[in-house]
Amino acid sequence: MKGPCDRAAEAFRRDDPPAIDRLRVHAASCLECAPRLALWDAITSEAPSLRKEWESPALFPRIAAALEAERVRAPETRRAAPETVRSKRFSWVPVAAAAALFVLATIGLQVFRNSGGREPLVNAAGTSNPLLTDRSLDEVESAEANYVRSIDRLSALARPRIENPTTALFVSYREKLLLLDSAISEIRTQIDGNRFNSHLRRELLAMYQEKQRTLQQLMKEAQS
Amino acid sequence: MTGVRSLENRHAKEALLAGSDEQGGQPEGDEALLEECRRGSVAAFERLYELHGARMKSIARNLLGQESDAEDAVQEAFLKVYRGAASFRGSAALSTWIYRILVNTCYDILRRRRRRSEDALDTTPGAEAAALPARAADHRLRLAIEQGVARLRPRHRDVFLLSAVEGFSHREISEVLDIPEGTSRTLLFEAKRRLQSFLGDAAADTVEGRA
Repeated sequence: MKGPCDRAAEAFRRDDPPAIDRLRVHAASCLECAPRLALWDAITSEAPSLRKEWESPALFPRIAAALEAERVRAPETRRAAPETVRSKRFSWVPVAAAAALFVLATIGLQVFRNSGGREPLVNAAGTSNPLLTDRSLDEVESAEANYVRSIDRLSALARPRIENPTTALFVSYREKLLLLDSAISEIRTQIDGNRFNSHLRRELLAMYQEKQRTLQQLMKEAQS
Repeated sequence: MTGVRSLENRHAKEALLAGSDEQGGQPEGDEALLEECRRGSVAAFERLYELHGARMKSIARNLLGQESDAEDAVQEAFLKVYRGAASFRGSAALSTWIYRILVNTCYDILRRRRRRSEDALDTTPGAEAAALPARAADHRLRLAIEQGVARLRPRHRDVFLLSAVEGFSHREISEVLDIPEGTSRTLLFEAKRRLQSFLGDAAADTVEGRA
């Protein structure tokens, strides 16, 4: 006895015109695939009607006004800041500078003593400057791109399991990966607006590491 | 400013066609436009609005459920484009970057809305979309699809709206949502499959009625 025909699902999954055309020929003589194809076609052809169009003549003038306000506000904020804080700043700057110098000298002396004067006093990798320089940014972005590529390769290996989860466990892995992709997308957008922020870069790295771990666990489960 | 609206649709179509053929990086016109945006030229933003405004409004409206919220989202997205233009490097096309900002702005608005708990029983965009405008009621299949879309999971809904409704390619969606192209395909397939089962008899009746 023949099982249920799955040619429709296969063609829909591939979502390319030749596969759909072949399905169309097949559906002409398959009672199972014909209604599925008809419904699929109906969704596909009707979907663009969900596009929303309405007149909003006031919207761009509103945007232009907001942009103008933003443009004016930015330099004003920069200009106003020194005037408002000048008097206070000058009163505590010398004291703060002296205190900072004292603290730095004490720490420096302590580090130098502990290392016996042989080790470098500052570990470059351990510094936590929240802003990256142009050169280090290029290096970070290049390393990031390589890392993302290797995770993409891992994703490609795991794709059959992700796309066709056979157990609840794989479904939950898939959901987790979707959530991670969503979080990665958000952080990336924030980075687009602030590329030099190393905190955001660290958050992004943590997300990618979690994605890598999840993919590795998934692959491990798939092999066991 | 006159004629902005009248040009919206034509330019949106032009942008869509141009975008579909891009293979990454900045098209020539985009680079100049971006430079003007960096300088804060209102004319450049007006051009961006002509090219993408209509589509941005539609996406935001489908994600947020209300026209007023959609317009707020578009405005906020334009401000973010202005603030971020200086540091935008151009690894993605300008247009996909803008749509990415818009989609994330919509997510922010949804989060804020949930936090405020103003609509304690009706917080999801899906639930809002389910309260459909009266003009949609004259078309059963569209109504059914719209209700089905409202019940989709957010990621499925986003990909369905961008692909099937707005006509983005999977490559563009992968840039806007920052997901692999394969994931975009899979999400679209699953979204349509779920819609098929959501629609069930209602859509089947309509299709039969058409035949």
